[in-house]
Amino acid sequence: MRAWQKKRYLQLEVRNMNIVVCIKQVPEVGDAELEINRDGTDILREDLEFEINEWDNYAVEEAVRLKEVNGGKVTVVTLGDEDSEDVLRHALAMGADEAIQIEEEGFEGSDGLSIAKALYRVLKDLSFDLVMTGVQSSDDGMGQVGVYLAGMLDLPYATLVIKIEKKEDGIIVNRELEANTQERLEMTLPAVLTIQTGINTPRYVSIMGIQKVRKVAINEVSAEDLGLDSEDIGSEGSIFSSLHFSMPQLGEGAEMLTGSIEKMSEQAAGIIRDKGGMS
Amino acid sequence: MPQRQLFLNIDSCGVSLFYFIAALAVALFLLGIVSRIYLWVKSAKGKKIIWNSEGFSNFLVNGLLGRRLFKGDFSAGIMHFLLLWGFAGLFAATTLVAIDDYLFSFLKGNVYIVFSAFADAAGLMLIAGVLMAVIRRYLQRVPRLERRTEDFLAVFWLLLVGISGFAVEGSRLAVQNASWEKWSFAGQFFSMFFTHSGNSAGLYQFLWWSHALLSLLFIAYIPYSKLFHILAAPASLYLEKQPGIISGAEDVSEERSPFSLREIIGFDSCTRCGRCVDVCPSAGAGERFAPRDFIAWARREFSLNMDMPSLLSKIHGNFINRDPGDSSLTEENIWNCTTCMACLEVCPVFLHTPDAVRDARKRVIEEGTKVPSFLSQALKNVFKYNNPWEATKKKRAKWCDDLDVPDLSAAEGPADLCYFVGCTTSMETRAQGLARSFVQILRNADISFGTLGKKEPCCGDIARRAGEAGLFEMKKEDCISLFSDLEIKDVVTSSPHCFHTFANEYFSCQMPGSAEDQFSFRVRHYTQVLHELLEKGFIKFPSKLPLKVTYHDPCYLGRYNRIFDAPREVIQAIPGVTLVEMFHNRENSLCCGGGGDRMWQEDMEGEVKMSEKRIREAADTGAEVVITTCPLCLIMLEDACKTAGFENELRVMDLNELLVRAMDIKAVSGDESMAEKEIFAAGG
Amino acid sequence: MDEILVLAEHRQGELREISFEMLSLANRIGKEESSGVTAVVLGDPALPFAEEIKGACDRVLFMDDPELANYNAEPYLNVIEQIIRERNPGLIILGHTASGMDLAPALALRVGIALATDCLEVNMKEGGLSVLRQVYGGKINSELIFKPSERYMITLRPGCFKAEREQAKSAEMVSMQPPAWGELNVRRFLDFLEAELGDVDITAADILVSIGRGIGKVENIPIVQEFADAIGATLSCSRPVADQEWLPKSRQVGTSGKTVKPKVYIALGISGAFQHQAGMKNADTIIAVNTDPKAPIFQTAHYGIVADMMQVVPALKEIFTRA
Repeated sequence: MRAWQKKRYLQLEVRNMNIVVCIKQVPEVGDAELEINRDGTDILREDLEFEINEWDNYAVEEAVRLKEVNGGKVTVVTLGDEDSEDVLRHALAMGADEAIQIEEEGFEGSDGLSIAKALYRVLKDLSFDLVMTGVQSSDDGMGQVGVYLAGMLDLPYATLVIKIEKKEDGIIVNRELEANTQERLEMTLPAVLTIQTGINTPRYVSIMGIQKVRKVAINEVSAEDLGLDSEDIGSEGSIFSSLHFSMPQLGEGAEMLTGSIEKMSEQAAGIIRDKGGMS
Repeated sequence: MPQRQLFLNIDSCGVSLFYFIAALAVALFLLGIVSRIYLWVKSAKGKKIIWNSEGFSNFLVNGLLGRRLFKGDFSAGIMHFLLLWGFAGLFAATTLVAIDDYLFSFLKGNVYIVFSAFADAAGLMLIAGVLMAVIRRYLQRVPRLERRTEDFLAVFWLLLVGISGFAVEGSRLAVQNASWEKWSFAGQFFSMFFTHSGNSAGLYQFLWWSHALLSLLFIAYIPYSKLFHILAAPASLYLEKQPGIISGAEDVSEERSPFSLREIIGFDSCTRCGRCVDVCPSAGAGERFAPRDFIAWARREFSLNMDMPSLLSKIHGNFINRDPGDSSLTEENIWNCTTCMACLEVCPVFLHTPDAVRDARKRVIEEGTKVPSFLSQALKNVFKYNNPWEATKKKRAKWCDDLDVPDLSAAEGPADLCYFVGCTTSMETRAQGLARSFVQILRNADISFGTLGKKEPCCGDIARRAGEAGLFEMKKEDCISLFSDLEIKDVVTSSPHCFHTFANEYFSCQMPGSAEDQFSFRVRHYTQVLHELLEKGFIKFPSKLPLKVTYHDPCYLGRYNRIFDAPREVIQAIPGVTLVEMFHNRENSLCCGGGGDRMWQEDMEGEVKMSEKRIREAADTGAEVVITTCPLCLIMLEDACKTAGFENELRVMDLNELLVRAMDIKAVSGDESMAEKEIFAAGG
Repeated sequence: MDEILVLAEHRQGELREISFEMLSLANRIGKEESSGVTAVVLGDPALPFAEEIKGACDRVLFMDDPELANYNAEPYLNVIEQIIRERNPGLIILGHTASGMDLAPALALRVGIALATDCLEVNMKEGGLSVLRQVYGGKINSELIFKPSERYMITLRPGCFKAEREQAKSAEMVSMQPPAWGELNVRRFLDFLEAELGDVDITAADILVSIGRGIGKVENIPIVQEFADAIGATLSCSRPVADQEWLPKSRQVGTSGKTVKPKVYIALGISGAFQHQAGMKNADTIIAVNTDPKAPIFQTAHYGIVADMMQVVPALKEIFTRA
């Protein structure tokens, strides 16, 4: 949208949407071969690159789009170590306006509930129309934090959101169900939404885009600032007593074909003909 | 006394009217000039234009003489020469008349006779040129020439100005009937149409006013149409070699133009002659892209987006950059350009479209929502993993796992030569053959060399062509600091893209006299190294290799860096090999379609695939093998060979692979297909 | 352990398989821990589902109300919260489904019960409940043990347990009265959107050639299409390909796409994330091609090739076109 078009649009329909997006920095595991540390409590992270959790990226993009159309402000919040500043800058470069970082110290070993508690304590003092999180994170995939947060904030919520439409006095969202079906819900604001991948196409963030936002101040808060102590969070506060990682057993699995590409293809072709009922 | 009276038979009222209209015309003219120059000044951003003799000679040779216009179209060259000098002559004549009238009178007697003859000659040249233009455009209907309103006006209006000028002269001579006027030979000829009667005087007035109005309004029209090239083209030609203004803005915030001064002036010099369309491989493949359309689009886009006084904005929007309504090119299509530079090779005003495309892409990249998704992923991979292909750094040195190549980054040096393998050659299975063969050749010649192993960064070409200036700067710094840390001074690359980027874009992007102390290194493409090895006798061929081959000039090696002969000499040094040329060769080579980041884009097919067009040309030569010297060309042409169905007749090979066979070094490429074995079995 | 509570799921008039899968797990633990298994069915009407389920549990609590016709957070939360407070179950099982993911955390927060989601396996151990999950996209297994508690909640991953409909039981049927709802307008169900009628019904195909991220770029799809044509197969895909809109969503195989059961399923460049596997693992013969020898797909596939799919496909096409 050109600048002059944007201005006109906003003049016609000024309905600000202030949105808070909770994001997470996760290891980029797509093509990597993972290894587990000696006591089985974590993966080895030295050779890994990090990125914004894929679902959260979609959420930030959706928030920025809503802001671009309706006006308002997007605030991003994360809980992590100093490196997690990268995902905040990424979100700022996409179009977020403010960033808050909850320092990781004290939160190591936390369960989803503790994370939600920390986020809640930051969010309760902010004013917003929408809170967004990703459906789940690509590392542990629990998919709880957004819904916990909604409960703590006592706000209506919806998960697996694949489309958002702003209406006069609220929103209509589409939720993604199984078997290629969706359901539509009408909701009042403020509300909490967990965002599913595919809701939009997240924009490319250029290096210069990141450099442009490197001076934007990030608010840092600690567990102490939030009034949380070790009973509430970390491994002490966790609902789990232990966690143990292991490599999935490569069971029988597939019969692996061997040889040159030609040879394996011949074999595969034979299987296809045979089992596929081809004459 | 031979002379001409100014304002003959025009009364003082008429004279005042004339000057009033002239003032109006000049005002309109100046307004148009200001509209154009405003953007020039904004794009210049305080950069200085310095004296540059190469630029000046470019202006003389290609501007005044129009040498480029003759290329491939001799009559166009003649036509423009006549037009240019005819117009210039008449313009000079008018100026002299003004000087004669207002400053000091000298157009008398013999001086006048010579002057009048000269003016007549100029007028004839002009008319001859315009008639040629009319014939070419409307009768011959040369395909690349358009027949829009603007073209019609430019040509016919000028014709009318010329003819009306002679008509005025003719009727003047008929009225005056002076004896000396036979020297005004053309005028004499025209005067035959007029009789010496009272009516002639009235007719003369009419013709005089017609000519006056036509000429003045023509002058006024110049800056609003493609005729502005009269003023812009000389500037464009002069700036061709100007350092420091080659690159557009690094920072593309809303108010500033992403294009450099040279590009903006180039845009204004475009006369839509269409030579670029004729040679563009994208247009040739039926895609929705042609440099001419891109230029019109770019001009319109950026002029509408620039902040300027509303009057100028209206002039741009309604006249200068009016929506032609007939172009189908959209913003998506800026990704079609392969940056092959075929257009620049033929453009009479040296408009650097590939650079302009890159700068247009900058804006799309920074805005972020319309970046093609596959390219987006490739750029992210370059940022994090130093290569566009896979999200991992670990595979980069795998191609030489079994070859025991010294890794300079792991302190296995020092070596004389650093072999910069490049992203595609390291990671892409087919292209790895290039590197493996080259390494064998270097070893065979006992050259001390090494690579950078897994630490090798990307040269940044991908980022630069995409307009991702920040990523390019980052990769540039990575490479320079690695070279500097390891004290590498002599680099050879697999890819012409890396070569071009290192040689021409790493340091020229800096302003001259920059404070930074540049670490510098020599960089060559491997064909240059092979050529040197050949000359020094390190490459020997034990036996004949009877093979008919053709050579595909990669755009970034050939057109960009004028390296045409070295690879050919190497090929022809192989006994038994016959080299045949494709229809489009050397500086006219046809792009394979892999450059300009097309390798990392999705389907952009036109009616045919660019690479298939090229492979057909290769097949047409009857050659058994197509030799390439670029990993992207290798991949593109080999894919095309398969999809176009030439696999059994034609083989695509890199020059190194050919040499390894010819030199009879043990074969190193593991993945040899049966066809290749057969070809070389026959050759011994 | 106290009673085990299972929330049955239905949609658009059909009881979903996950309900029986959960009951299989519940019954197994119930036997081990000597606990009763109670199914909760909320609907409008709920009785038909209750009838369908009574062979698989000890007790069915069912409730009819228009507000419960389709899953919606607030009314379901209110009802189940009430049930939990009244009955104090030791283990609550929901499905890790679109409804379960939406409901479970909110429920857990309200009643203060510890929750683990997306579990593949559940066991009661000395120290507390132990669950098995997968993390990092299925590349790593994670075993979690809860701190000891009276009550636990889990959501169960579909497809991990057999859906045994007849478990030799005869449940006690208990009808429940819907509560006074109060204000329920913060989130209103509107309607379902059916799947787009795509060009082709992939569930009807005998042979499916399915492409994943390994295809690289959309330009490669025609090459795979040619191979599919050569063997009379239909083209399908995994989620990333549909997200990019390289193929229509109607071609997507997986939990949020379609479940297929062809004679031959050829998975090209698909890593085998759980959501995808759930949609195809019951195919008669599965052949997988992937560059990563550790890709999860090789667990489910019958035959595997470790190679670049774009090298294998042309070779396969060659074989079938020259035949």
